[in-house]
Amino acid sequence: MTEVVLAVVLGLLFATGTFLILRRDLVRVVWGVSVMSQAANVYLVTMGGIAGSVPVIGHGGADPGTVTDPLVQALVLTAIVIGFGTTAFALVLTYRVYQEHGTIDLEAVEVEP
Amino acid sequence: MTADFVVAPLVVAIATAVLALPTRHWPRLQVGISLLGAVVYAAAVAWLVVRVFPSTAVTYQLGDWPAPFGITLVADPLSVFMLALTAAVAVPTLVYGVRAIDDHGQRLSFHALYHFMLVGVTGAFLTGDLFNLFVWFEVMLMASYVLVVFESDTAATGAAFVYLVLNLVGSAVMLLAVGGIYAVTGTLNMADVARRLAHAQAWGIDPAPVVGLAVLLFAVFALKAGLAPFQFWVPPAYEAAPTPVTAMLAGVVKKVGVYAMIRLYFTVVAPASVPLGLGFGEGAAAFVAPVLLVMAAASIGVGAVGAIDGDTFEELLAYSSVSQIGFIVLPIAVGAAVPSVRVLAVAAALVYALNHALAKSALFLVAGTIQEATGTTRFDDLGGLSGATPVVATAFFVAALALVGIPPLSGFFGKVLVFDVAVQAGADPALAVALGGAVLTVAYLSRAWTRGFWGPSTAATRAASPDRVLLGTAVVLVAGVVLVGVGFDPVYRAATDAATAAVDPQGYVEAVLGPDAWTVTPGGAGP
Repeated sequence: MTEVVLAVVLGLLFATGTFLILRRDLVRVVWGVSVMSQAANVYLVTMGGIAGSVPVIGHGGADPGTVTDPLVQALVLTAIVIGFGTTAFALVLTYRVYQEHGTIDLEAVEVEP
Repeated sequence: MTADFVVAPLVVAIATAVLALPTRHWPRLQVGISLLGAVVYAAAVAWLVVRVFPSTAVTYQLGDWPAPFGITLVADPLSVFMLALTAAVAVPTLVYGVRAIDDHGQRLSFHALYHFMLVGVTGAFLTGDLFNLFVWFEVMLMASYVLVVFESDTAATGAAFVYLVLNLVGSAVMLLAVGGIYAVTGTLNMADVARRLAHAQAWGIDPAPVVGLAVLLFAVFALKAGLAPFQFWVPPAYEAAPTPVTAMLAGVVKKVGVYAMIRLYFTVVAPASVPLGLGFGEGAAAFVAPVLLVMAAASIGVGAVGAIDGDTFEELLAYSSVSQIGFIVLPIAVGAAVPSVRVLAVAAALVYALNHALAKSALFLVAGTIQEATGTTRFDDLGGLSGATPVVATAFFVAALALVGIPPLSGFFGKVLVFDVAVQAGADPALAVALGGAVLTVAYLSRAWTRGFWGPSTAATRAASPDRVLLGTAVVLVAGVVLVGVGFDPVYRAATDAATAAVDPQGYVEAVLGPDAWTVTPGGAGP
């Protein structure tokens, strides 16, 4: 059951992210990218298996045989930090685009020189 | 073999980048540190070249955690070939940057960002871990985002936003692929993945999903390399970025995508035997070969047509680099489909990549020099540069001939090897594409030559006085093109050594995991 719910949630997250990236509003595009990278993180957590209990052996009195894979959690931590940095940069860049072009409508932002 | 010097280029680049930040109140010291760092980086790479060629793979275990549990850095001939290419382009372009970037920009962040980009590139070439590859990509991209928008004007902000969003989506897709490969094989170490895929049954894994996951990764690498249909970010970003950054992006950063494709398909997932039932071979490489061929052909065509239509030197060169990346990938496509020519195919791609790195960076630096000297690179405002600035004209001419493929320059051997691969494999479509692309290359470069350098001189060109330092950096790269062409034999041997290492998963696994690792299975006994 958990698998089905997670799969559906992941699909919805990716759909939302894709939808937002295809908007004309630059801020929504940034939100879309952000949602999509978070969806990738959630997906990464599920890749380690979702059956076990705690990720640290012998922590919280869990049976050592049922620990969940801690590696994916380390990966996700790294990915979250990178995503944080890139989102911050994307928002600053959006503001800079607004200053230069006077709009955040993608159709009005000239990309071709 | 394990040795500490593998990590040397990485440490040098990181140290330089970090030192360039607090020294910004002392500009001369900052520039000195930056230049010294680049030279020491080149020396560290040269040391790796001496130690690794012809056929050694040296590893370094980060934090002394043994592979496959820790992150492994692997310097094998393929990685070191790419590092040598990087160092050859990085030093002249940095000198150009010191001269051309305004003082405020240099003090603020240029040197730190430039070296952080170098860190990312170096890490991507050296790492032996899939997730770590993702991290190095991000390091490289984060620096390159800021460098693309460095001038922060109208064109740069728009182009950088497209570049940023596209690469962020690419990063999310890459995470999916890496996570999937981890779920399928239970490891992230590239050598361990290769070993487990080779003996999939003994390790109890089903290799079939890896074919699809590898295609996801391939899409990300194609995005980074700017292959059609992902080429649309390339021209705006290259035109918006400052000249030395463009030279690095076109010369080196693009090649990271190419390197990652070679490493992924010929080393990491090559051992997987998956019956595809599609009628053109088995395994992940054969699956992607037709796609790669079409993308290479499309890149060559789209890039060349865009270049013929270019209004400025930068636009023409940016589209040209889309076209040339097609030439680099074309032999890889043939090699993926026909395993018997694989070594030659990878060698051809590497030689062409080296030629493109030197010649295209030189051309971008020449274009930048023309911009500084005349205030424009629009063909409409230029003309008669060959009379006004003969050295600039000569540098452009030689680099352009190298792209066309005239002997004895490096481009001649690149083109010959690409044709040779297509002929030996009996791949007539690839041969036709390569020939058509070669003709188009002549067309757009002769257009640039006749419109920029011949004809009546204009007000802009009459007043031209090219900066000697800027021109000197371009001349150094052009000299590299000539040198590689004249002394081609050692370069060819190095490329062949690199290609041999690239298509030998067993050698790679044994270098990383130990002499018996290839046949060891979870139970301890051989398969």
